[in-house]
Amino acid sequence: MAPDFFEDPRRRDIGQAAEEQTFGGSEALAETVVAGRGRTLRTDAWRRLRKNRLALAGLVWICFMIILAASADLWVPHFFGAPTAIDTSKVAQQSLLSPSADHPFGTDKLGRDILSRTIYGARVSLIVGVVAVAIMVVIGLILGAVAAYYGGWWDSIVMRTADVFFAFPYILFSIVLIALLGFGLQTVFIAIGVIGWPSIARVFRSSILSVKNNEYVDAARAMGASTPRILFRHIMPNAVAPIIVYGTMSIGGAILTEAALSFLGVGVQPPAPTWGNMLSEARSSLFTAPWLMLYPGLAILTTVLAFVLLGDGLRDALDVKLKE
Amino acid sequence: MKLRKHAWIGLVLGIILVGALVALAGCGGGTATTTSSSTPAGEQPVKGGTLNVYINEPVSIDPVDLEESEGTQVGQALFDSLTTFDYLTMKVGPAAAASWDVNADASVFTFHLVPGAKFHDGTPVTAGDFVYAWNRLCDPANKSNVSYHLAPVKGFDEVQAGTVKELSGVKAIDDNTLEVTLSYSFADFIYVVAHPTLAPVPKAAVEKDPAAFSAAPVGNGPFMMDGTWQHDQSIQLKAFADYYGKKPNIDGIAFKIFKDPETAFLEFKAGNLDWTMIPTGQIKATQDQYGTSDDGYTGNPGKQVQLGSELSIYYLVVNTKDDIFKNPDLRQAVSLAINRQAIADTVYEGTRAPATSIIPPGIVGYEDGAFPYSKYDVEAAKAALTKAGYPNGQGLPELTLSCNSGGGHEDVMALVQADLKAIGINVKTDFTEWAAYLKKLDDGTFQFGRLGWVADYPIIDNFVYPLFKSGSADNKSKYENPAVDSALEAARKTLDESERIKAYQAIVKTVGQDTPVIPIVAYKHHHVTSARVFNLILSPNYLLDFQDCWIKG
Amino acid sequence: MLTYIGRRILQMIPVFIGVTILLFILRAPGVLPGDPIKLITGERAISPALYNQIVKENALDKPLWYQYGRWMDHLFHGDLGESYQLKRPVADILIEKFPNTLKLALVAILIECFMGMAAGILSAVKRYSFWDVLVTLSTSILVSLPVFWLGMILQVIFGIKFKEWGLPYLPISGMTSADFPGWVHYVLPAVTLASISTAYAARITRSQLLEVMGQDYMRTASAKGLTGGQVIWRHGLKNALIPVVTYLGLDLGAMVGGTILTETVFNWPGIGFQIYRAILSRDWPIVLGAVVIIVILVMIINLLVDISYAFLDPRIRYGRVAK
Repeated sequence: MAPDFFEDPRRRDIGQAAEEQTFGGSEALAETVVAGRGRTLRTDAWRRLRKNRLALAGLVWICFMIILAASADLWVPHFFGAPTAIDTSKVAQQSLLSPSADHPFGTDKLGRDILSRTIYGARVSLIVGVVAVAIMVVIGLILGAVAAYYGGWWDSIVMRTADVFFAFPYILFSIVLIALLGFGLQTVFIAIGVIGWPSIARVFRSSILSVKNNEYVDAARAMGASTPRILFRHIMPNAVAPIIVYGTMSIGGAILTEAALSFLGVGVQPPAPTWGNMLSEARSSLFTAPWLMLYPGLAILTTVLAFVLLGDGLRDALDVKLKE
Repeated sequence: MKLRKHAWIGLVLGIILVGALVALAGCGGGTATTTSSSTPAGEQPVKGGTLNVYINEPVSIDPVDLEESEGTQVGQALFDSLTTFDYLTMKVGPAAAASWDVNADASVFTFHLVPGAKFHDGTPVTAGDFVYAWNRLCDPANKSNVSYHLAPVKGFDEVQAGTVKELSGVKAIDDNTLEVTLSYSFADFIYVVAHPTLAPVPKAAVEKDPAAFSAAPVGNGPFMMDGTWQHDQSIQLKAFADYYGKKPNIDGIAFKIFKDPETAFLEFKAGNLDWTMIPTGQIKATQDQYGTSDDGYTGNPGKQVQLGSELSIYYLVVNTKDDIFKNPDLRQAVSLAINRQAIADTVYEGTRAPATSIIPPGIVGYEDGAFPYSKYDVEAAKAALTKAGYPNGQGLPELTLSCNSGGGHEDVMALVQADLKAIGINVKTDFTEWAAYLKKLDDGTFQFGRLGWVADYPIIDNFVYPLFKSGSADNKSKYENPAVDSALEAARKTLDESERIKAYQAIVKTVGQDTPVIPIVAYKHHHVTSARVFNLILSPNYLLDFQDCWIKG
Repeated sequence: MLTYIGRRILQMIPVFIGVTILLFILRAPGVLPGDPIKLITGERAISPALYNQIVKENALDKPLWYQYGRWMDHLFHGDLGESYQLKRPVADILIEKFPNTLKLALVAILIECFMGMAAGILSAVKRYSFWDVLVTLSTSILVSLPVFWLGMILQVIFGIKFKEWGLPYLPISGMTSADFPGWVHYVLPAVTLASISTAYAARITRSQLLEVMGQDYMRTASAKGLTGGQVIWRHGLKNALIPVVTYLGLDLGAMVGGTILTETVFNWPGIGFQIYRAILSRDWPIVLGAVVIIVILVMIINLLVDISYAFLDPRIRYGRVAK
C-alpha cells in the first residue's frame, strides 16, 4: 500500500471532490489559487516556511542527503570501500561483519560496506524520486492544460484516459510496465512517472478551470494575448502552488515505490545498491544480521519523511486559506 | 560400489525380488542401519501425532501432473508407484509392484503387482488402473507437464499427437500383471517407474469429477486426503488404515503452504512447523541452535539441521554459438577463474558444495573432477585466457552475464563478476525476469547465463541426454558434437550396467573438455526438523520419509 | 440524480473497455518478451503436445481482435478461462482469493476508521497542543514508512521476540493455524495494511474539522452558548465527517488492488500476491480476470461513494458538468 498512496485512486477522489467543489464556484481552492499568486507568494511563503521547524528540518535533511549522494565518489570509496567492490579471496572473512570502526554500519553477505551502499543507495532513490516526478509533472501539465483549455472532446479523452490509469491497481500496473520495458533505472523512472501523471493533470486542470473565466484572463484575451501567453503568463502562476506541494510529496511517494519495486525484485537490479534491494537481501538475515535491515529502512523512512514534512510545510506556507 | 553395481545388474536382468512387504515401500526411507545409527539410543517409535510440514503452493498433487518438488512431496505420500529408489542404499526396491521381469534386450518389462492392495476409497488396485493412469498422463487434453516420463513407451508419440488415445505399449495381462513395451532398449526404465507421477489412479473416482479428484486425489499410498486442498493454506493428510505396506507411526501430515521460506521459518521458530527450509543467511545460527544431522538426511532431536546432498546442479550455460564464446579456451578460462568454494561458503554458507562435474554426487556413476576445468586456478585461468588470444583480457570486449531476477542469484552473479574481473575479464550483469530470460536462452541471444538442473532419476542419462544432445530443447548452450550424439544413442542401447556407466562417464569427460556449461555448485539440503520429531529422513531427491518418523511430546 | 447515475455508468463503459484493451495489447505476442506458454514447464523445455493444447484451448493462434471478442463473450457468460500455470479455472481461483483480501481490507478499514478519526478529532480539538504535534508527526512518520519494512518489524517484535520474552504473542503469517483463533491472524497484517490510510484518515479528519469549526454557523452555535464539546459533536463532526467517510469507502477499493506487499510479507492468501505472481509468469488469464474484477469493483465503489456524497452534501449539484 505504501508506495501507491501518492498516486492511488483515493488521491483522485480527494482531488475530484475539491475539483467539483471548485467547479461549483463556491469553495476555497479557487480563492486560494487566485489570492496566492504573484511575487508576494514567494516571499510570504518563504517567511512562513521558515517558521515551520518540521518543514525546515525536512529541507535540511534533504539537502544533507543530496550533498552526501553527490559527493559520494569523492570520499566514500576511500574510507569505506566502493559499494560493489568484492574481494573474492577474502569474502568469507569479510562477510556479515557487525558494525565496527572500519565498517560503521557493518558489512553484508558479500563483505560490502553497508554505509557505502546506503550512501550510494541515496543516489538511486533521489534520482528516481526527482526524475520520476519530473516526468509525471511534465505529462500531467501538458495533458491537464489540454483538457482544461480546449475542453469538450479533448477534456473527455484526457479525463477518461486518466480514469483508465486510475482504475488499474497502481503497483500492478508498474510491474506490468516494467515487464514490458525490461529492468533498469530508466524503466523505474518511466513506470512511476507515466503512471503518476493523471493526478497532476487533474490538479492542474482544476486550477486552470478555476481561473479560466476570471476577469483578468478575459481581459488578457480581449487584449489579444495568444493562448500560450495566457497559459504561461496568467494561468500557470496560479497553478504553481498546488503543483509544487503535490510534486514535493510525490517525490517521497516515488522513493517508496522504487523501494517496493526493488523489494519485490522488479526494480533497479543488483549489484547496484538501492535501499529497496538492500532490504530484500536483508530479509534472509533478519536474525543473524539485523543491522542489514535497519539502515536502509531508516534511510527510506527519514528521506521520505523529509519530503512529506517539507510538502506539508509548503502546503501550509502556500495555502492562503490557512494564513492567519 | 562395485559389488553394489553387480547386484544391480542381476536385478535388472530379471531376478525376481522377494520379500516386498518387508522392505520399505513408498518413499524410499532409511535402512535399518541408518536408522539405528542416527536415532538416539533407547528411543522407540511411538504412535500418533500430526506432522506439520512446510511446502510452497504446489502446481498439482494429482499424479497426472506431479512436476515440481512441492506437489511431488504431497503426491508421494498419497501414492505408491511400481518401484521405489532407496537413495541411502542406491537400490531400486519394490513398491506397488512386488516384483518384475525384464526381457533379454530390456525392452519389455513385466510387473507383478502386490495382491490385495487397495485405493483409499476401498477399491482394489489393478494393472488396469496403471494403464488408465498412464494413458491419462499422456493425453494432451490433460495438459500434463510431465508426460515426458513415458516417452520411452511404445505409442507415446502417437498419443501425444492426438491420433490415438491409448499407449500401445502398456497392457494389463490380468489384474495383477502389467506389461510395458518400450520403443527402444532402456534398462534404466526401472528407475523411471519409481517416479510418483506414474502411480495408478482409480478410473471411477477420476471420471466422476476430475476437478474434485485433483483437489482431493484418491491414492494407494500410506496416507489419504483429510478434506480437500485448501489452496495457499494447507493440505491435510491422515494415515490410511488399509495400506498394504508398512504403516506409518504418525496419524497424519499437515502440509502448510507458505509463499516463501522466510515466513515459514518464522513459523518454525514460533513452534508451528516440524520441518521447514532454512533461509540462507540463517543456516549457521540454526545449526548452532538445533544441532546438525549426522548423515545430513535424518533429523532427530538435537541433530535437526539436514545438510545432505541433493541431485541438482547449479551451472553457467555458455552460448557456444556466440562470436566470442565459440572459443573453447575462453570458456575454459572463465571456468577456471571462478572461486566456487567462496560461492558455496559465503552465499550458501557451506550448504552447497563446489561442483566438479555437471553430474552431482549421488548419481549412479558419479565421478569427482569429471570436468577438468571445474576448479579454481587463477594462474591456469590466465594462461587459458592468453591461449584464447586475450592476454590479461586485452582485446576482449565486455561480456554480458544474463540471469533471471528474484531467484536469489544476485550474490552468485556478483561473485562471478568479481572473479572474472580479477583475471582481466570485464563482465556486466543483465537481470531480466524469467520469461524474458528464457526467451534469450531459447533464441541464443545471450553470451552466458545461469541455470539449474534437477534429476528426475539418479542416472547420468538424465543429465547428458537433455543437456548435450544436438537439437534437444534443453540444450541451451546450442552444443553440437556428433561424437557425443552417437555415443549417447549407443549408451542407451548398452545392456550391460557397468559398460553403460563407463560409456556415460566417457561422454561426461568429452563434454567437460568442450566446456559448453560451467558447473558452479551442487545443491545440498538446508532444512531443519523440530525437536519433537524423531527419524525424519529427507532423501537426496527431496522426498520426506513419512513412514519411519515419529513424534514425541 | 438518476440521470447522473446513468451518465456515470455510461462513463464507466469506456474505462472498462480501455483497461481490457490495454491488457490485451500488452498480451499480444511480441509486446512483452517471452512466450508465456513456454514458462509453464520452468527450466525444462515444454513438450509440443502440451504447447499445442494450450494454444488451441485459448485460441492463441487466432488474431488478437478475435481473442478479445471471445474473451468478452466468455466474460459475460461468467467464464474467465483457465490459468496456464495452475491449470484451474480462473473464476475458481478468484472466488478463493478475493474474499480473503476483502476481509483483510475490511478489518484494516475498521482500524483506520477508529484510530484515524480519533487521532484526527483529538488533534483538531486540541489544536497546537502537544497532542496535535504528536498526531501530526506520527501521521507523517506513518506515511513515510515502507509497508514491507513495517511488516517485517512487527513480525520480529510481536511474533518472535514476544514469544522469546514469554509475553502473549501474535501469529505472523497465514490466515489459520492450530494455535490461534482465526481472527488473531488479522491483527498484524491489518495493522500493517491500515498504517498509511490511518494516517491519512487522521489528517483529513483534522483538516475537515478545522475547516468546519471556522464556519459561521459554528461560531453562531458557540455564540448561542453551546459548550465547545457540544458544538463539535452536534455540528462539527457531522459535517466534517462526510469527506472522511467518503475517503474510507474509496480506500477499500484501493486496498483491494494494493495489498501485494502486505500479502507478501504476511503470507496472506489473497488476490494481490496472486496477480503479482501471474504477471511475472505471464499467466494472462489470471491477470486479465483479476484486474477486470478489481476494476469493476473499484468503479462500483467509486460510484456508490459519489452518489452518497451527493445525497449527504447538498452543496454538490451534478447537473452542471453537462453544460
